[in-house]
Amino acid sequence: MTAAAVGAGLPRILGPIRPRTRWRETRLLAIVAASLVVGSVSLALTSQVADPGESHGLSLANPLHVAIYLGLLGIAHLVLILSGRRMDEILLPTAGMLGGISLLLMERLPQTQVVQSIGPWKLGLGDVQLAWLVLSFGLATTLAVTVRSDGWLRLYKYTWAAAGVALLLATFFFGDDINGQRLSLTIGPISGQPAELLKVILVVFLAGYLSENRPLLVEESTKVGPISLPPLPFLAPMAAMWAIALGIVVMQRDLGAALLFFTVFLSLLYIATGRVGYVVVGVLLFLAGSYVMYLLVPTVQTRVDIWADPFRDPTGDGYQIVQSLFAFGRGGLLGTGLGAGLPTVDGRLPIPAVHTDFPLAALGEELGLIGVMAILGLFLVVVERGLRIAASAADEFRSLLAAGLALVIGTQAFIIAAGNLKLIPLTGITLPFISYGGSSLLVNGIIVGFLLALSDRGVEPPPPPRPRSRFARLTGRVARLETPAAGRAPIAPGPSRRSPPAADDR
Amino acid sequence: MDPFLLTVWVVRLLFLGLLYLFLFRIARALVGDLRAAAREPGAELGRLVVVASPGGEPEEGSSLALDAIATIGRDVNNAIVVEDQFVSAEHAILTFRGRAWYIEDLGSTNGTFVNGAPVTEVMPLGYGDVVQVGQVRLRLERPRPARARR
Repeated sequence: MTAAAVGAGLPRILGPIRPRTRWRETRLLAIVAASLVVGSVSLALTSQVADPGESHGLSLANPLHVAIYLGLLGIAHLVLILSGRRMDEILLPTAGMLGGISLLLMERLPQTQVVQSIGPWKLGLGDVQLAWLVLSFGLATTLAVTVRSDGWLRLYKYTWAAAGVALLLATFFFGDDINGQRLSLTIGPISGQPAELLKVILVVFLAGYLSENRPLLVEESTKVGPISLPPLPFLAPMAAMWAIALGIVVMQRDLGAALLFFTVFLSLLYIATGRVGYVVVGVLLFLAGSYVMYLLVPTVQTRVDIWADPFRDPTGDGYQIVQSLFAFGRGGLLGTGLGAGLPTVDGRLPIPAVHTDFPLAALGEELGLIGVMAILGLFLVVVERGLRIAASAADEFRSLLAAGLALVIGTQAFIIAAGNLKLIPLTGITLPFISYGGSSLLVNGIIVGFLLALSDRGVEPPPPPRPRSRFARLTGRVARLETPAAGRAPIAPGPSRRSPPAADDR
Repeated sequence: MDPFLLTVWVVRLLFLGLLYLFLFRIARALVGDLRAAAREPGAELGRLVVVASPGGEPEEGSSLALDAIATIGRDVNNAIVVEDQFVSAEHAILTFRGRAWYIEDLGSTNGTFVNGAPVTEVMPLGYGDVVQVGQVRLRLERPRPARARR
């Protein structure tokens, strides 16, 4: 196919191209570019001053990597401009900044942490991370531009949920054991962590389920002591979620994912119903479940004991946490500077999992409290954008979807950051956008892509409300609950408007 | 101090500074967004609470949502229709200009009063001020949050 044919074919697929400027995004991306260049220079300078005793396997700041990454952000920006949609202009720069920090960190860590050979090339940590970042942002941009309808998500929510559970079971039966955790699944040449994808599937399912059954969930009919609960059939999914979360803990020893799923579930339930009772019951259930797990599952017990007192065994179980705390301590307020942290112990990195579970500790050492606050601020911005997109969404499903996706990122960042800082027991989970890891980065790309697509004001209107689920028809409460909540009074277009318009009916 | 080390530290601090510049620009954008959302089309810009209304129209205690231009008078074509013999057909007009409310008397027979003082020209109206037309007293209040759906 010639270039002219492609040029003529594209508008037929995507519709006519009417570019729309995104100056806010352009300006923010310029700051991202400046920050990354300065950070890279800082890395290069540090590797010149670092005395040989302090540095171990330091890699030079790689100008090619920075150029590729910034070029990628530029292309993504250009594609969004050409798409001509009115999408959020802050998400891409924010995610870009986090990804850039990740790139700088991975360049700076010993490249031998991860080595993948593809044909004649040997790719180090930085190279692999860059490749995943490129794929992730590519995916985000593609989704943002191509997702025009949410029917395939909303109509097949049970199918998605079944697929998610199938993934989970497949991991359990066919997964590879790494450090006593069975998290990754290898199918042919592809290896990934299905739990990452499960996060998105969970949010899709919950958004679909809650938006459809919200009126019934809000109703109080079952009384348990002083707490009134909705009709019992609608409590089933809540119990199921609880069971799944605990099941993940028992089967996969994946505390982080369980905590994340349950937190996101409770948050969405609260957003959909606005009832604190659910959250209270959920938290109580969670505490009870956690206690039983603590008694029964040795992994949970170890994690909690380490958290309670890491210094009891500073060279054994508590080693990583202790080193992480030391790293934050060495960083102080301003940090040691990019590339100047992480002194080695006996020629090894003090924190073996620094690139997956402890990137915040490394950043805390090198950028200091100031830098860590900035990074947490960036995550906060992602959550704020998500909630804002949710608030202005066209209907319940999209609103819950946007809020849930943003909360996945926010909650995950909180869980691992708090784990690194010994605020809560450490759970193996990635820091979104920053940790090394293909599955995690790709899923973050999917989330950003969906959020961008949802933020588009010109997107196809939501489908008309569908008949209620079987449960609802059986209970027959629908008619009464279906009346719209007290809102704006309709203005009657009668010939003589004697009554003042927009008089309040509340 | 070694000039090279100094450079290194300047670059390091510059990196942190740029991170915060980025956050600052985003914060400004977010504040701008919030302002814009507050003025979303269709959203009300203020409310008038009826403090006293001997004629019963508008009803005492009710509150009326305001658009950017709200006329007050006895004529049915006004945004706020007041049934009171001391009120002119086109009595006064409330306008929202930029960020604040303004009130103007439209040459009414009995005049318009804000907190007891007569309105002679276009004058600003603050939230909490009480407007009197005829025997009807109306208090300007802040708009309700745009999305109080749930």
